[in-house]
Amino acid sequence: MTSQAAQLKYEPGQTIIEIEGLSFSYEPDQPEAPNALNGVDLEVKAGTHLAILGRNGSGKSTLARLIDALELPLSGRIRVDGIEAVDDETSYMVRRRCGLVFQNPDNQIIGTTVEEDVAFGPENLGIPNPELRDRVDTALAIVGLSEYAQRPPAQLSGGMKQKLAIAGIMAMQPRVLILDEATSMLDPFSRRDFMELVQKLNREEKLTVLNITHNMEEAMAADFVVVMHEGKILLRGRPEQIFAHAAEIIDAGLDVPAHAAIAHLLSKELNLPICPEEAASFTGAINTVTRLMCTAAEREDTANGPASPADPIVSGSAVFAGEIIVEVEDLSYTYNPNTPGATEALHEVNLQVRRGEVLGIMGHSGSGKSTLVQHLNGLIRPQTGSVRVLGFNTRLNKEIRELRRMVGLVFQYPEHQLFADSVFADIAYGPKRLGLSEAEVERRVYAAAEIVGFDPDILQRSPFELSGGQKRRAAMAGVIAMEPEVLILDEPAAGLDPAGREEILGYVRELAHKGRTIILVSHNMEDLARFADRLLVMKDGRSLFLGTTDEVFSRVDILAAAGLEKPRTAQFMEALAEEHPDWPIGTNAYSVEAAVRMIRQAGVPKPAERRSAVTKPQVER
Amino acid sequence: MNITLGNYYPADSILHRLDPRVKLLAALTVMIVIFFLNSPLTLLLFALGLIAGIAASRVPFKLVLRSVRPVIFIATFAFLINIFMTPGTELWSLGPLTITQQGLLVGIKMALRLFFLIMTTTLLMTLTTTPLEMADAIESLLRPLEKIRFPSHELAMMMSIALRFVPTLADETARIMKAQSSRGADFDTGGLIKRAKGLVTVLVPLFVSAFKRAEELALAMESRCYRGGSGRTKLRELKLRPSDRWGGAVLILICAALLLIEYMVPLGWFGLA
Repeated sequence: MTSQAAQLKYEPGQTIIEIEGLSFSYEPDQPEAPNALNGVDLEVKAGTHLAILGRNGSGKSTLARLIDALELPLSGRIRVDGIEAVDDETSYMVRRRCGLVFQNPDNQIIGTTVEEDVAFGPENLGIPNPELRDRVDTALAIVGLSEYAQRPPAQLSGGMKQKLAIAGIMAMQPRVLILDEATSMLDPFSRRDFMELVQKLNREEKLTVLNITHNMEEAMAADFVVVMHEGKILLRGRPEQIFAHAAEIIDAGLDVPAHAAIAHLLSKELNLPICPEEAASFTGAINTVTRLMCTAAEREDTANGPASPADPIVSGSAVFAGEIIVEVEDLSYTYNPNTPGATEALHEVNLQVRRGEVLGIMGHSGSGKSTLVQHLNGLIRPQTGSVRVLGFNTRLNKEIRELRRMVGLVFQYPEHQLFADSVFADIAYGPKRLGLSEAEVERRVYAAAEIVGFDPDILQRSPFELSGGQKRRAAMAGVIAMEPEVLILDEPAAGLDPAGREEILGYVRELAHKGRTIILVSHNMEDLARFADRLLVMKDGRSLFLGTTDEVFSRVDILAAAGLEKPRTAQFMEALAEEHPDWPIGTNAYSVEAAVRMIRQAGVPKPAERRSAVTKPQVER
Repeated sequence: MNITLGNYYPADSILHRLDPRVKLLAALTVMIVIFFLNSPLTLLLFALGLIAGIAASRVPFKLVLRSVRPVIFIATFAFLINIFMTPGTELWSLGPLTITQQGLLVGIKMALRLFFLIMTTTLLMTLTTTPLEMADAIESLLRPLEKIRFPSHELAMMMSIALRFVPTLADETARIMKAQSSRGADFDTGGLIKRAKGLVTVLVPLFVSAFKRAEELALAMESRCYRGGSGRTKLRELKLRPSDRWGGAVLILICAALLLIEYMVPLGWFGLA
């Protein structure tokens, strides 16, 4: 780029970030409050792509802020590019060497146009024109947003906004790019696109990348991984070294890649040792699984292989015979009709949902999912076509109020709608609006609180002092307390860490077991595949496919057209089946548990494969 | 939701290209001058000038006319007050109400002035100037006041951030209202107090989120090395080109000519007395 960048050029392998004994507390005056960081040591070489994993509250974001000199350490030291931030001037010097992309795209855009926003950083550095203009244009070209230079940022998609954030940083010509869960609000397509950009910058611009993430794919793509837990570094190493410690990682409330999880669970169930390093890689996990099954068969000396559990495997082929309670016919909807800004959000969508069913709706941002579900409780009235829910016609005003008690809608990030001074009052708002008696309102609040796992004493607290996950649950309880027949959830687990995600989805599962009809909107294939009986695939406002989960995931063409991927577990099972063509193994496994069950039911891999696979497993540790 | 602030009409015209500072100052001048115009002749000339301006701006005439909508009520009110309250030659009367010839004239002039004022400022400041340009213009015009420690940079930064967040907060408001509607909130029916109570469920989350956004934005700004206005450069520096000087001079001359005609030229010359 320019001369300034040249001066800062680094020999690869040189240390760029040096952290020694770093501790930090948000409440330094209160010694009993736990430190956000507790004795962290870390050394990052220039040009490295480092992934940082950890639960929400484990200190990852705090670490990012300290590296960017937005906070100063309580004790210990950090040096970035040889500079230790101790005062305003040195903090400024560190900040111009680090760029930080935050989680929420909307809260980091300062400019009123795309170009203005990119210019913000270099303007602060006092870069004069024409270099300033040159830097802005170059940065926009790097991230591929040149044609949007004059647009207001509000017109960009979430993925584009995050790329804009990167452009704003690149224009400052930094040495280090820090991503603080920057992809967590993006759909899978934008996420891949965004990460490709990050990889490119890492490779071509020799930018050091620190990526704080919950996504396992991103972690596998990094050079090094650090796992944080309770303000300390729990594990560090290359991805395959890290995921060898699957058990520890799961204990810390985090995910491991599906293939490693399957290998570890199988090893646990069969009570046989595995080589964790091998199971950490995709192909290694295939070998591991094969070997485990062969060893188990030899040990038990039965032709049928290890006993298979009796639970039915199928999760995605239940056919519901209940009455049809949601009926959408030829529904089309256009925002701002008859104006130049008219956009068609739905095009002739047809859909039927039966009582007690769990329907998943999947598709990218802007595919029409949210517009569709807002029709189901009358928030949006049909323009053409019709929507009938539980016998109510959503075209008719007087039926809408009645309808809204029957259909509960939990919006994305529902915690943003909390308003009352106590959790109790917030949950009680909906039931009260239904005109129920005091006793009935109270009963419903307690029932809803129980479903989301709240102790009664939390109900008296202010919703604003709860943790992120608790807020989410409180907001969900507010809708559950209305005891709707149909519950619609829009990305209920978005932005949570893996453990929080499982918890929220657990409550959804519980409601499904109670016979509630559930419509789950998500772009997370794993979640949908595990929960839904049927799936609706949306693209560009059209319903691309509606069928059972198995049907949808067997249609590679449909998934490709919608830009979606099979769940990782199913991908692994397919690779396994491909490796052993004669092994009668099912591939429609959408959870780790289902995958292990299927492997055990398939019995022993055929002899041809068996010979190659019977090398003794190396037992480690 | 896409909110365009102030109805900027994108086009390429002399008025669009004119430096926003010139337009802002011209609009202020017009605001003052128009209240000195009292004769039918100068008002007619003003109207002709306005029409010429609209033609030069390439903004559809309808759009400019539409801008008077919000003041129609006030204009009607001023018109009625004037025709009934001005003493003079009686034209028509009913009971206590009397319309005079002078009243009718004053009323019409009053309404016209108001319409012209709105149409001119809309044309100069909102239809042909983006809000961002306007913010830049205000910052640039206020910069001399920095000598007396007036925070002109901060003021402009605040305006620009406010502009940036209007669509975001509008989206958020719509989302929260929808979410509360799903929980049985009703923003459309009931008395004033009931509706106001309903709004609490929207305003509290909106404020909570606005504060959170502000906090995160401040962090993001700091992370990008923001340290206030000193030492900052600007991507788009307002530069007064010769054409801008000419444009400004023309607008001032027009205003001066109108005032001159108003006060110096005997109306009898045109048989309009």
